Parts: sequence; structure tokens; C-alpha cells
Amino acid sequence: MSSKPQIKLDKVKKTYRIGKIDLEVLKGIDLEVEAGEFIVLLGPSGSGKSTLLNVMSCLDVPTEGHVYLDGQDVSLLNEDQLAGVRGRKIGFVFQQFNLLHHLSALENVTLPAVFQGRSESQRKKRAADLLESVGLGERMDHTPPELSGGEKQRVAIARSLINDPEIIVADEPTGEVDTDTGKKIMGILTDLHEEGRTIIIVTHDLELVDYAQRVIRIRDGVLSEK
Amino acid sequence: MIKEYFKIAVRNIRKRALRSWLTILGIVIGAFLVVSLISLSEGLNKAVMGELQAVGTNIVMVVPGEGMDITAMFGGLELKNQEMEAIRRARGVDVALEMPWQMKNVRWRQTSESVLLWALDLQTGTDVARTDMGWDVREGSFARAGRREVIVGNLVPQNIFPGIEPGDEITVSGRKFTVSGVLRSLGNREDDSSIIFDLPDYRAVTGTVEGTPVAIVRIQDGYDIDLAISNIERSLEEVMVRRRGDDSPSFTVLSSEAMIEMVENILGVIQAGIVAFAGIAILVGAIGIMNTMFTSVRERTKEIGVLKAVGAKRKHISALFLVESGMIGLLGGLMGIITGLGAARLGQFVLDQNPNILVSIEAQAPFYLIFYTLLFSFLLGCLSGLLPARRAARLDPVEALMYE
Repeated sequence: MSSKPQIKLDKVKKTYRIGKIDLEVLKGIDLEVEAGEFIVLLGPSGSGKSTLLNVMSCLDVPTEGHVYLDGQDVSLLNEDQLAGVRGRKIGFVFQQFNLLHHLSALENVTLPAVFQGRSESQRKKRAADLLESVGLGERMDHTPPELSGGEKQRVAIARSLINDPEIIVADEPTGEVDTDTGKKIMGILTDLHEEGRTIIIVTHDLELVDYAQRVIRIRDGVLSEK
Repeated sequence: MIKEYFKIAVRNIRKRALRSWLTILGIVIGAFLVVSLISLSEGLNKAVMGELQAVGTNIVMVVPGEGMDITAMFGGLELKNQEMEAIRRARGVDVALEMPWQMKNVRWRQTSESVLLWALDLQTGTDVARTDMGWDVREGSFARAGRREVIVGNLVPQNIFPGIEPGDEITVSGRKFTVSGVLRSLGNREDDSSIIFDLPDYRAVTGTVEGTPVAIVRIQDGYDIDLAISNIERSLEEVMVRRRGDDSPSFTVLSSEAMIEMVENILGVIQAGIVAFAGIAILVGAIGIMNTMFTSVRERTKEIGVLKAVGAKRKHISALFLVESGMIGLLGGLMGIITGLGAARLGQFVLDQNPNILVSIEAQAPFYLIFYTLLFSFLLGCLSGLLPARRAARLDPVEALMYE
């Protein structure tokens, strides 16, 4: 393991103001993630696990404390700088796939590369290779409504890989698919882990714990590790 | 990169087809009004100006009616013999011509058509017509006074009496006349579709003895035009005051420069009115675009969240919406131009069918009109998308992702 953690959370607090009440969702979290870990973040709904994932993946910044990504304090970055970091370093897989319905599978996969300014030929080739690797080589020109849930999630995984990120975060990646498909999705994520990527999965599904090297539990904004 | 935005914009416009078309329609109406009305008024401008500019600077026009009111020409007011004599008496006047016109049935061989007859006093006016008004025959010869000869306008042998040629006879009110020649084009369709009669012949066939809605006056060589105009005015005032017993003589004397300026002013006002009117229509269209784009931003909140999550910066999100609203504007402008040009053609056709309109209009769509209409509708589209795009760009990615 490297000397410097890939992700480091230092006394991270996140408070939401709802009306006149301050709701503290993350209550001073310290966490270090090494490159190449496979982490499952477990917690009931309302535990703060999604907020924690958002902060770790640079979608959100903490109210207090610091988040370091590869040694850089990302809690000091502005929104556009965070978007740049996300685009380069982090791949997202969502529970509801979050594909653009009017774009083809191939176009969906290329989209993050568009924002990184990659050339069209480059993005198309890589997107086609990625779709091929998740077994959708024949379905590239189909739009999401023409695909099954499992196929959509494989497109979403291919999309998360287009910019070759070091970290893949997945929020309930098997939440909307049946058990068999869920196993396939987890298989793909395991392969990605074996390629050396850091995988962080948020779930309340205990079966996913079997895939993890490290399980982190969160309850009421506080971590407990097993 | 812009290509991707384009692709996404086109898909969005097509996906929400009805709403998109209704929004586009708002711009279409504005652009349609601008293009159709401006091209018709440009046509009017060109027709009137072409006629006026062909006239020499030593020619002035006298019309009955108050002030600088060109509509007096069409209003049925006439200068009588007494006024014509007063004009001729004025110092500096070389020739003063009555040039009345009237629609009449004319027969040639077996066909009978309603044609505009136009009078020219050949005795005194041939030289004015040929040298100062640029009239010339392209076939045959100019009509001679007292010979019952007429000249037909350039378009008569094509459109009215196909095949008519010098030497042919025509019949008007039971009198026969010989066609002596065919005029070269005078620059507008109405004039080119008329038949020119010697003034005494015109009086005989129309049954009139005097009166003309306009007098064409040539000023003596070397005589100051402005001085001659004031001489004519003074001379006419004396006659009119004496006749009517009041002190408000009603006539207007215009030099050809003054005529051009007057027409330019009138047309300028008309065009400004059109632009203001159509501008309001376009503005309403722009508000429509803004409304549609705000709705679109709200509906696509989640999509915006996804795009931001996968690395889209504010400028990317803004561009996405601006391209879409700009395209709506551009499409609206394009369709407005196409339908506007069509309507202008139709308007031209309808005006051509109306014999009371003396100036025939050929709709003009200058390049600048097309170019600026397109540019303006595109910019307006972008402008209307500015606030919605800003709102989209500023959405918080976490909140946008959670939006259902």
C-alpha cells in the first residue's frame, strides 16, 4: 500500500439547514482509503451513507473538515474545479442508471469524454471497446428505453470508465436489477477492482458485503468499521 | 464538442416536438411579419424611386391637395384648365403638361381588354417625354400629333394583346387608332401595361374636357428651379383664391428632389412602423422561448445533475441550453423568412390584380433583410436562453441528482 492515502477525510462534518433546524448528517468523520481498495459502505436509509459518498466523490463539499484526493485538498475547490476532478478521477454508477434517454448507448458512454475535450474518434473508439467489454457490442446504437435494466447498468459502468478513472463509486448499483443481473454487475465491478481501481459501493444490501475487502458501516452520521 | 451539443439539442427539440414547434412558431410569426412587410415596402420603394429618379431635375410636378400628401394624387382631386393656364403663365415655365389616366375597354382584333389609357399632349409634350422623362420606342416610331396614333407600353404586346405590333388598329369608344410604336420599359409594370394617347384623343374617348390629377412642368433651361416653383405657387394661388374666395389654395409643387425626399420620408415611417410592430411580435416569441427553456431546465434537472456528476462544468451546461434556444430562434427565423417571402409574393400578386393601384410592386428581399432577420432571431434565441441556461448551470449537482 502506498504511503499516502488516495482519499482522506479529516473531521468531515456535513450539516443541512432545513427551515430553522440544522441537521447534522455527517458528524466528524475520519477515513482513509488506499488506492485499489474494494469498499462496501453499509448503512440504513437516513444514516448519511449517500452524503458520505457524495463528499468522497467530490460531488459535494463538507461544511467542516477537509477531504483530500491524492493529497489535494478538494474541499477548497470551486464547483467547476470539482467537476474537473470528478471528470478525470472518478467514475459514477447510479442506482437508477441515469442515462440520457434520447442518446444511444454509445453516445451515453462518450459523454463524460466530451467534457474532457477528447477528440471524437478517440472517444468513439474507447466507448465501443468498453461496451464490447461489458458484452454490449451488439447494442451500441440502442437507446436506454430499448435496453433491459441490466444492460442499462452495464452501459452506465462503461460510461463510468470512459475517462479511465482511478476510483469507481457506485450508489446501490444492484438496487434496480434482479439477483442474477446483480451478480453479473458485481462481477464486472470485481474485474475492475482486479485491474487496480478503487471501488466504493454504497448499499443496504448485505449480500454485497461478500465482494468487499473492507466494510464500513455508518449509522447516524458516525462510522464503525468491521 | 459543439457538435455534441447540437446533437443533444436536436434530439431534445424533436423529443418535445409539439412544444418546440409552438415555441418556434412564436419566432416564425415575428420573422414572417418583418420579411413579408419589409420586402413589400422595399418593392414599393424601388418602384416609386425608379420612376422618380428617371425624371430630370428640371421637371417639377404640380398636384392638387393639401401639403406634402402623396395620397392627393389618388384622391380624385384635379387641376382644371384655369390652373393649367396659371402654371403656364408663371415665369420660368417652359412647358406644362396634363397627364391624366383612366381605365378603358380597348379592342384589338377579337379581344377586348380593360387597359390603362394615359394622356400625353404630343404637340407640346413629345420632347419633354423623350428627353426629360426618358421615353423611347423600341419598335416602330413615336406617335405624331393629330394622326390618331397611339404608343403601347412595353408589356402590352406580351401580356394584354399578345402579338400586337406597330401598324395595328385598336378601337376605343368606337374610335379607331393606329399603333405607331412600342415603348421601352418605363421601369414599372403599371406604366408598361398602359397605352399612351394624344391628349385630344384621350379627351375624346374618355368624354372629359379638362382636369388632370397631376401636371408635369418643365422649367426653362438655366432658370432657377426654386424660383420657378415659387412663381408657379404664386400664380396658382392668385387663381385659386379668386375662384374659391378663400385663402387656402390647395395644391403642391414638388421638384423631383423634393418628391424623392418626400417618398423616402413616407416609406421610412412605414418601415419603422413595420419594424416596431414586428419587433413586438418577435419579443413575444422570445418570451415564449424563455418560458420553454425554463420548463426544459426544470424537466431536465436530473439530467443536468448527471452531466455535472460525470464532469460537466457550468460552461458546458450553459452551452447545451444556449445552443438549443439559439437553434429554436434560428429555425423560427428561417421558417419566418421562407413563409414571409411566400406571403410577399402573394401580396404582390394580389396588388397586381387591383387596377386602382398605380404603382406595381415587385417584392424585394434584399440580402441584408434575410441576413439580419436570421442573425437577429438566432441572437434573440440565445438571449432568451441566457437566464434559463444560467439557472441550469448553477444547479447544485447533488440536489439535481436527487430531483424526481
